[in-house]
Amino acid sequence: MNLELSAEEQEFREEARSWLRDNLPTEERPPEGQEMREFDLAWQRTLFDGGWAGINWPVEYGGRGLTDIQQMIWYEEFAKADPPFTLNNSCTFVGNLHGGPTIIVNGDETQKSHYLPRILKGEDVWCQGFSEPGAGSDLASLNTKAVIDGDELVVTGQKTWTSYAHVADVQELLVRTDPDAPKHKGITWVICDMRTPGIEIREIQTMSHVTDFCEVFYDEVRIPLTNVVGGLNNGWRTAMSTLSFERGTAFMADQVELAATVENLIEEARVRTGPDGRRPAIADDEIARRLATVRSEVAALRAMTITGISRNARTGVPGPEGSIVRLFHGELHQRVYQLALEIIGSDSLRLTPVDGDGVWTGPYLQSFAYTIGGGTTDIQRNIVGERVLGLPRA
Amino acid sequence: MDLLPTPEQEEIVTTVRSLLERDFNLNTLAERDGADSVVDRSLWAKCAELGWFGLGMDESLGGVGYTLAEEALLFTEIGAHATPGPFLATVLGARLAALSGAHDIAGAILSGESIVALAEPHTPGAASASPTVSGTFRVTDHGSADLILVMVGTSSALINASDMVAEPMASIDLLVPIAVGTVSDVSPIAGFEENPGLALRANILVAAELAGIATATAEQSTQYAKDREQFGTPIGAFQAVKHRCADMAVRAEAANSLVRYGSLAVLEGLTDANFHAHAARSLAATYAVTNSQINVQNHGGIGFTWEHTAHRYVTRSRVRSQTLGTVQSHLQSLLDQPTPS
Repeated sequence: MNLELSAEEQEFREEARSWLRDNLPTEERPPEGQEMREFDLAWQRTLFDGGWAGINWPVEYGGRGLTDIQQMIWYEEFAKADPPFTLNNSCTFVGNLHGGPTIIVNGDETQKSHYLPRILKGEDVWCQGFSEPGAGSDLASLNTKAVIDGDELVVTGQKTWTSYAHVADVQELLVRTDPDAPKHKGITWVICDMRTPGIEIREIQTMSHVTDFCEVFYDEVRIPLTNVVGGLNNGWRTAMSTLSFERGTAFMADQVELAATVENLIEEARVRTGPDGRRPAIADDEIARRLATVRSEVAALRAMTITGISRNARTGVPGPEGSIVRLFHGELHQRVYQLALEIIGSDSLRLTPVDGDGVWTGPYLQSFAYTIGGGTTDIQRNIVGERVLGLPRA
Repeated sequence: MDLLPTPEQEEIVTTVRSLLERDFNLNTLAERDGADSVVDRSLWAKCAELGWFGLGMDESLGGVGYTLAEEALLFTEIGAHATPGPFLATVLGARLAALSGAHDIAGAILSGESIVALAEPHTPGAASASPTVSGTFRVTDHGSADLILVMVGTSSALINASDMVAEPMASIDLLVPIAVGTVSDVSPIAGFEENPGLALRANILVAAELAGIATATAEQSTQYAKDREQFGTPIGAFQAVKHRCADMAVRAEAANSLVRYGSLAVLEGLTDANFHAHAARSLAATYAVTNSQINVQNHGGIGFTWEHTAHRYVTRSRVRSQTLGTVQSHLQSLLDQPTPS
């Protein structure tokens, strides 16, 4: 147990700080469409050129081969640099934090050398095709079917809740390749080129007005068998390695940013008039208590993240314990924005964008996604109960 | 940066755990329920022999030479086993005596010969520990105490137990004797007008004990949910129970991680050490109380009995969450801290 940074880590922090000072974009991120895509990819390219892409990815695929602690330091420095956009609110998220890591663990050499550098250099946008209208929490019951025809898979069906499908080049797609096997055993994880004929994308409006949510339809879409990752009918295991990763360290950036959000909220409570119409909001006992409570909880979140990194460093792979952090984080994120809306009083009626300086209502509406996406909190509780604590399945 | 115990620290935890399980069995200790002292002198001497009272103290001061991190691990185990006794007053009292140069007294505390009770203001603002000790205090473990550690904010003092007139009160926790005592204008044997370091360590150790309660109750519920069958299946298969157990595990992980972080922040003298100590102390108290309450519910009828240990955690978490501050006072102190670096 220690909190010390090695000389190398300390140097890394200073390097990150000074690079961000010179290179952080000052313009706001365009909220939608091709402009958003170009902005996100250009920033990814800037990160790559500066040596800040794939910090904890292997060197041979364009990463820097550094530790999760260094990855966390990078996020912390990014959040401290007061960026005009949040780090994970980017169409490069799935490539960097889902698709890429899955290929690192399960991909073959051809897949690794083709896809990984393209993700890091900002050449491909990835999206995720997991959920279906009939397969949400029960993901393994998915029935988008894929039939082998020669050296190709022919895919027919529908995916939903696919963020950034409308601007994506590539999709990590789960399909049913063996309808007769038990439901977890007949699934395949495959890379789908989003420009293949037979794909139709429809955007879905969301309660937060974010427009990157889509449903995707497949009508005899032909995908080369060489795009299968982790083996035919082994897709469940392949997907779980991604989800464990997601529940482990993929949300580190959000967690770091949430600490900064709480500090900003405390500042808001000092300058805004509170519920009694006379004193600052922070003078209100209930608001003060709730602010201090979320302050203690984001401190706990950071400590839990470091505990998770320490555990991963010992075992080498992210374990199911990641669900503990994910669960705590999702609900805490919501509590912070619920409290924010009470503190800002009548400004809580003014709609703001999801991202930007001093915005609260947009992120509040977006915060509902934090206990649904990537497995609802009910599913996270099942995972903690069954896979961490060893309680029996229903 | 690493927040998991090293193999050496794990070994300390294992040793502590085995002694607590063998010699501090709650069913045996129940014989002392309601007594004004729970200290068994020979057992206390054994803890002293194992170095528990000076675990985090420098060897130059007569301690074992480990740090606050190991001391916090010890207190987490004490919390996890609901072990009664004046451990906190002993560890802090020995430190205060040693730091103020009262080496004989420090030696007597470290050897288990002198028993130390803990006194803190009964009502805020109406008591002082420096330059003389005066006021009305809430005293825990006063029964067989030779000395009393008086802590008022960041000032602290050791006085003779005979200098206090103590009136026992019925304690909600029958293994934590509580009295209300008055002291008028007594000069301390040893003391500090201002020693924020001692108060800071106290916050971490209380938080560690509370984190231990949050952990043990999470484990007790999980085990019961695996063993107890109803409707032909272990009750842990039902989401209502499973999800409560999951939430308890989350609280335990949060409390333990933050306490460890806090202990290291204090130990390494970080500028945000106070921030993390208050955060750990308030969060661990809230989670210990919450987990211990839900633990009774998870056990149903058996959880409501005196025979079962579930109630021990309920009352212990209540006592400890009001030891040296309250959730509310630590939250207020936390909010007063600057943004951590």
